[in-house]
Amino acid sequence: MRVVATTSDLASLARAVTGDLAQVEPIVPPAADPEAFEPRPSDLAKLKGAAVVVRVGLGYDHWLEKLLQKHGDAAVHRGGVGYVDASAGIPLLELKGRSLDATGRDGHAHGLANPHYWLDPANAEVMTGGIAEAVIRVAPELTEKIIANRDEFLTRLKARLAEWERLLAPHRAARLVAYHNTWPYFARRFRLDIVDVIEVKEGVSPSPARLAKLAALIREQKVRVILHEPFEPEDASQLLARRTGAVVLKLAPSVGSLPEATDYLALFDYNVAVLARALSAPSN
Amino acid sequence: MLEDVLAFAALPLAAAVIFTGIHTWLGLQVLRRNVVFADLALAQVSALGATVAVVAGHAVQSAAGYAYTVLFTAIGAVLLTASRGFARSVRQEAFIGVLYVAATAATVLVVDRSPQGAEHVKKMLVGGILSVTAEEVLTCALLYAVIGALHWLVRRPLLAAADNAGGAMPDRKTVGWDLFFYLSFGVVVTSSVGVAGVLLVFCFLIVPALIGTLFSPHIGAAFLIGWVAGAGASAAGIFGSFLLDAPTGAVTVVAFAASLVVAGGVRAFMTGPAAQRRRNRRLGLHAGGILLCLALGLSGLWVMVAPAGDHPVLAAIEIATGIGPERFMTPRERADYIDAAAVERRHQAEVDRLYDLERRSRWQGDELTADEVRRIGSVQQTLTEMGRGERFVISYLRARARERERWYIGLPLAVVAFFGIAGIAWAARQPK
Repeated sequence: MRVVATTSDLASLARAVTGDLAQVEPIVPPAADPEAFEPRPSDLAKLKGAAVVVRVGLGYDHWLEKLLQKHGDAAVHRGGVGYVDASAGIPLLELKGRSLDATGRDGHAHGLANPHYWLDPANAEVMTGGIAEAVIRVAPELTEKIIANRDEFLTRLKARLAEWERLLAPHRAARLVAYHNTWPYFARRFRLDIVDVIEVKEGVSPSPARLAKLAALIREQKVRVILHEPFEPEDASQLLARRTGAVVLKLAPSVGSLPEATDYLALFDYNVAVLARALSAPSN
Repeated sequence: MLEDVLAFAALPLAAAVIFTGIHTWLGLQVLRRNVVFADLALAQVSALGATVAVVAGHAVQSAAGYAYTVLFTAIGAVLLTASRGFARSVRQEAFIGVLYVAATAATVLVVDRSPQGAEHVKKMLVGGILSVTAEEVLTCALLYAVIGALHWLVRRPLLAAADNAGGAMPDRKTVGWDLFFYLSFGVVVTSSVGVAGVLLVFCFLIVPALIGTLFSPHIGAAFLIGWVAGAGASAAGIFGSFLLDAPTGAVTVVAFAASLVVAGGVRAFMTGPAAQRRRNRRLGLHAGGILLCLALGLSGLWVMVAPAGDHPVLAAIEIATGIGPERFMTPRERADYIDAAAVERRHQAEVDRLYDLERRSRWQGDELTADEVRRIGSVQQTLTEMGRGERFVISYLRARARERERWYIGLPLAVVAFFGIAGIAWAARQPK
């Protein structure tokens, strides 16, 4: 069986659910920005023969629609037995229903809500549930193995989540600034306060007036860490760090975006460890 | 805050003034050579070199990265020099255009294998002058001072080679000076594009040189005028981006374009020969009047044809006069219009309140349960959809009002514009 996921995070969760029963492939390469991704002909070839297609939804991987339109197999189209929108059932944040509003303050040009929900590890239960259901619909004979794989993964996740929460518990309500509005789910799970984001409109560099305002806010609120992603332009974050003494901390927003984030659990191992270390360090 | 504003502005302004100086000098030669887009082509070839370096695993700022960039720029310089030999039957700009698109396409193909390729291409285009460091400014200042001094020492043969552009088949000496020009030009462009991006560097190169040429035929005076004008446009762009709360690179490009328009106006209406000034003023008045009448007349016709469409001129008149579409509504429609606007504001305020409540709960007090978060999301979505309904009502009532308003505003506008154009045409036919 072949399972195709739009992102490396969903692919990692699909691997956890299917184990060695399926070949799982992501479409967006690790470390690339899925919101700015342009599909290639080889991605269409990936979809051919796929029994299950897993997507983030909420407009985040909007380019999948075009690929699916060109793909003949109705089973992986919306509503088909092999189609999984992993956002179904997730308690979504910043949900405003402004699907056509490009001026929303959440920094996402499209989408019904903030789409970075996989960054709350507790949401993996719902996401793996959706994937497991689709795989079982396609191959009912694998039901027992799929359920066992998922249970085993959720047991490991639960233990790790307790450890991550313990590591970040001393930093509850720590104030952070992020370059892009990627981290609200992560912040909610680990009780962090993201006071503002640098990039208000996706793909548009911040104005100097905004940077001056952010510099004042960082000093006033004693923000010590600026969260940054590997594919984001660093100029503005580094400029703010130089002016305020805050530290630019590169976190992995998805599996494979940094070498340490080898799978879904390793992603949080890395992010939690480096964030806890940065927040524990004596301030400059 | 003010301290931050000045700190954020100081280095970009210093960089822009330094860039304008060297680029004005190079731009004057580019204009003489009639190769305006050589800058874009060379910048793109150097960007291709930087991209190859990144994909090969070297940082752009490393020695290997710089070596790749300079090597590609040198190849670009040789190609530009060689293109002059082909320019006898076809314009050299055609070859420059081909070089530009080929280098751009090659860059896209190279970055296609790199995860951060799109970001890299965008950075080469728009740059990041706002975040320029003191070290970068110093390095560029030293490099440009050396290149500027070299150009000054050999200015006579260099300018002679530029003046010979488009003439007979270039001799060996001319080819040598062409190569020197394009190589030094390439080194400058490579350094400045890395900081300011292709778009802004094109402005630094062409706009001040054009302004200088407008006011003086002597290259020394044109250089000084262009540099001062470019420095002024840079300052307007950088401080304008603070005031407008907009990206610095884009605002600075617009400021350069505006400075060219202002310089053109000053030259045409204030500093040109007296007879030419009188003619230009007369022409300017007529052209301005006709454009204004056309805008008003077309707007008046448009509101009569499509009262429910977008009417920017009418909206501006409504704001200026305070006569809005509600004046043309029935009392019942007006009450509904005002009520819908108030309800939409109330819904938006409630959406924002719920957003803040959920946001604060991420770190304050007890964590909201998943069901509570879902409920908040559901209410926000419902309120947003209801707000859309209110906006539909507002838009419908405004369209109805405009259907009536068109005969009171649209028709007079069209008539006034018609008589205005007729009057200007009559005045233009009168003997001077």
